[in-house]
Amino acid sequence: MTTAGKIVNNEIHLQSIHHQQTQPHQLHPPEHSDGEPETKKQEMPLDTSTYSLALLRLDGRRWNELRRIHAQINTQAAADGSSYLEMGNTKVLCTVTGPAEGRQAGQRGAKDNEAKVEVEIGFAGFSGLERRKRKSDKRTLEMQHTLSTAYSSLLLTHLYPHSTITLTLHILSQDGSMLAACINASTLALIDAGIPMSDYLVACTAASSATTSDSDNSDPLLDLNNLEEQELPFLTVGTLGRSDKVSVLICESRVRMERMESMLAVGIDGCKRMREILDGVVKEYGKRFS
Amino acid sequence: MPREVEISIIEREFIQNALQEGIRRDGREFDAFRPLELNFGDEYGVADVQLGKTRVIVRISVDVVAPPPERKFDGVFQIVTEFSPMASPAFEVGRPTDAEVILSRVLEKAIRRSNALDTESLCIIAGLKCFALRADVHIVDHDGGLIDASCIAVMAALQHFRRPDVIVEGEKATVLSTRERDPIPLSILHQPLSVTFSYYEEGNLFLVDADLAEEQVRQGEIIITMNRHGEICQVNKYGGAPVEPLDLLNLNNVALQKVKDISKFIQQKLDEDAKKRDAGGLMAELSAENAR
Amino acid sequence: MAALVTVVLPGDEIPRSSLPTPTGKKKTLTLGPGLRHIPPDTITTTIAGALTTDNKKNAIWVDTNSGRYIPAVGDLVIATIQNSVFESFNCLLTPNTPFASLPQLAFEGATRKTRPVLAPHSLVYARVVSNGQHTSPEITCVDPSTGKSEGLGPLKSGMIFNVSLGMARRLLLKSKGEVIVLELIGAKVGFEITVGRNGIVHVDGANVKTILAVGRAIQEVDEQALGEKGQKKLAERVLKSL
Repeated sequence: MTTAGKIVNNEIHLQSIHHQQTQPHQLHPPEHSDGEPETKKQEMPLDTSTYSLALLRLDGRRWNELRRIHAQINTQAAADGSSYLEMGNTKVLCTVTGPAEGRQAGQRGAKDNEAKVEVEIGFAGFSGLERRKRKSDKRTLEMQHTLSTAYSSLLLTHLYPHSTITLTLHILSQDGSMLAACINASTLALIDAGIPMSDYLVACTAASSATTSDSDNSDPLLDLNNLEEQELPFLTVGTLGRSDKVSVLICESRVRMERMESMLAVGIDGCKRMREILDGVVKEYGKRFS
Repeated sequence: MPREVEISIIEREFIQNALQEGIRRDGREFDAFRPLELNFGDEYGVADVQLGKTRVIVRISVDVVAPPPERKFDGVFQIVTEFSPMASPAFEVGRPTDAEVILSRVLEKAIRRSNALDTESLCIIAGLKCFALRADVHIVDHDGGLIDASCIAVMAALQHFRRPDVIVEGEKATVLSTRERDPIPLSILHQPLSVTFSYYEEGNLFLVDADLAEEQVRQGEIIITMNRHGEICQVNKYGGAPVEPLDLLNLNNVALQKVKDISKFIQQKLDEDAKKRDAGGLMAELSAENAR
Repeated sequence: MAALVTVVLPGDEIPRSSLPTPTGKKKTLTLGPGLRHIPPDTITTTIAGALTTDNKKNAIWVDTNSGRYIPAVGDLVIATIQNSVFESFNCLLTPNTPFASLPQLAFEGATRKTRPVLAPHSLVYARVVSNGQHTSPEITCVDPSTGKSEGLGPLKSGMIFNVSLGMARRLLLKSKGEVIVLELIGAKVGFEITVGRNGIVHVDGANVKTILAVGRAIQEVDEQALGEKGQKKLAERVLKSL
């Protein structure tokens, strides 16, 4: 079965009958899953009656399934806004400080009297497979740059001239979809901080399962874990709000250009579902005040 | 603190108005590159690329080192970028700007990570000796389009470069000088080239190869690197205004056409250079023998 | 300008024959930029360029076409507003140099109550009032004697083009600039140019095409050092394209 995604007239068509099936990524209430062990994803239902074994992924997911997403906002009392996000085994903690006066004199604010968005990403020593002290290498710098440019154009920075909005991300555990997790966590933290934005950014990864370049029968896969990221060509896509418009798109692996379409379509669809989940988190939190 | 001087309001408005009318400041089509020039140095592996007023010089050099223990069968290849104050007073030595980080990262992903160069061919004796190839990218003049120009320059220089030949006898390797034996071209697996699209008007208007002023006015950029066989090596869209996914896919097709054109151009220049070098080569030797 | 141009290099001694022959009332010789007087009567150059003389004013100086613009009192410049501090705007005459200051009251009709509001990165046409040997240079948009703007002030629309300093100087020399291309184009289409000594030309016109054509024509004359013939050809080509 080919499950190719198509983009026609800017509408995403995912050609699959299984699309509306039970989605195991539904939000778990925070109090239930707080201290839960990370074996959760192994408990995902393996629907072998409709899927032949070959169409199941390493961790038992189908091609268009997200991993278990768990998110909380307002986790850190000291920060102006904060969030904690888990996408499977990728865990990110994000805090927002600001809008406030920048630390370095003379560098406050960006050009044209707009607020400057600063991003700092730190990796915990225990986050990866090997315990290694990661210095701020170019890859991290690039991720910081991506987040900073994405949010600079998204937040209404002109409301806060001469100030700095600092996003600090702590990666507690790495298991693929790093950039996507960082984006989603930042979005939640920024919402928590109450910084006005035109819309909000959600991100997701998508891959093409074709390992040989000539095979036509390639399924696009959604939300990759670390193993899959190393095996398959993948991209990270971030869309804005309800639209399908792409704000962030990073593809770092070699892939036939024909595969791009299906990967993009699945990624954008994943973003939509991610948005629903994040929506739920914010609304759940908002209920406390109603 | 030197900082890139920002474009004036008048220029910004004018460029935007002109684009709305379908006119670029220098009269180019929206999907046209600036005049591209490529010259090779006297030595192998020196490429000098001029893209409009932007100028990038790349030099490839080689050394013999011990390979890293975790990759015994590979050679070493690194790309080093340097923004010198020569290109723009806004650049400072030793303090990499965001643009510099992005450039080196893009080159890294486009050329090194996409395996454009077969690093295994740089291995001399597994685990003991290998060639360490280094590409130094110097930005000599900056008028926008640095990524595209650097990518062209690195790929052209790699294809132009010849490494010295080696004789391996057991554990002993002898590097032969160019006089003893003709140096060997590198084994290039594919030729990735970058095309940077700048977009305006909320993603309704895309420009290829924006110059510095156009870069300052743009709402965002999309860097697409691919080879002429239609394989994408990387796509980068770091934020900026959102664009329709369908437009993104269309850009791939535009990029492919541009990459094909530039590949052809590089090949043509390489052939010309080879011919020039060969003028006093084999033919001259033969004729000298005849004269005797 | 004289057909014969003497190019001098730093350290060259100026022969007595090259000195201007005074025709005006002024008897003392005036040395312009790039010349040094070593007593008793030796004149040497300190920069490279074309030696230019003016018999009427009994002056001699060296014309150059390179380097950074150095403000001189009385020069007309196009400055970019960077920000406003206290009672003046900080302006850039050339990129990456210290700011020049433009008092907020140095505009026509500006009073303490009605100050002009200029956004960062807008352009003004201004005159240099002090060249700031020890302080930052100061510029003004008003003629201090009349209180009128005399054509100075903010530039609203149009486009700016960078040219060499020599070209800017030539354009400002009314008749002797030898830039006939503008007159030739101007005979057919209307446009307006404003020249700053700091190497910026501002062009405004009816539409985008005209502005670009004029601006690029000036740049082309500058870059390719077109003579009269070349300029005529260029003007024809430009007019045809419009």
